[in-house]
Amino acid sequence: MNVLGHGEVKITVESDIAVARRAVREVAMQIGFGPTEVARIVTAASELSRNVHKYAGSGVMQWHAIENGSNGGLELRFEDHGPGIADVSEALREGFTTGGGLGMGLPGAKRLMDEMEIQSALGQGTKVVVRKWRRQ
Amino acid sequence: MQSESIAVIKLRNTLLVTMPADPDDSTIAALQERTLEAMSQYDVRGLVLDLSKVEILDSYFARTVSETAQMVGLMGGETIIAGMRPSVAITATELGVTLGKTRTVMSVDRALELAGQPAQGVKAR
Repeated sequence: MNVLGHGEVKITVESDIAVARRAVREVAMQIGFGPTEVARIVTAASELSRNVHKYAGSGVMQWHAIENGSNGGLELRFEDHGPGIADVSEALREGFTTGGGLGMGLPGAKRLMDEMEIQSALGQGTKVVVRKWRRQ
Repeated sequence: MQSESIAVIKLRNTLLVTMPADPDDSTIAALQERTLEAMSQYDVRGLVLDLSKVEILDSYFARTVSETAQMVGLMGGETIIAGMRPSVAITATELGVTLGKTRTVMSVDRALELAGQPAQGVKAR
């Protein structure tokens, strides 16, 4: 899997969620995703950067244009040094929330993307990686 | 970056609110307040929420839209959501968001035809 281009958006204030969305929209369109795929990726990015802001206060989103053989895609990494997730499988359950939200952020983002990986340690932070391929 | 503006227009008995393409959270929160204030100020019967420019509906945006419709209901008005794009409808459904029992129509034209009429009086479908 080759990494072609990359960039990052620091998430420190609430309006950075919209900044992250715009950055992801631009790169997803450049990679050649169609309108519905772009909407899926941007929506997932919105939920995941909102989680960073809501639970950790601040963090960073990195995007990477990726390639696997003839297939292209987009990888998004969300990293924070917040409180971490006590039980990742529970956090992926529909409707589970500790932040007063609707609890659809993680499971919803997982549904919208092709791949998702979560690493989290209590008191140390959380790293969420999602990927979308142009052809699944 | 400055937040995008929300257009709020009174048309006969109806308030027409047009949402920008990709509003940040504070713009979405301002929508709720401005809409409710305008509902009472202009003494209108209904609200048409035009989402035709909206590019994504994440959980926060969807929750605020749904809450606004509930609040408008408490004030005695009806909300009609108009013009959601196919890509937005697909994505919002996959994400798991719903807009409760809020009435939705394809276009603002259709919404304005229905707005201000009591629900039981609507015959043409």
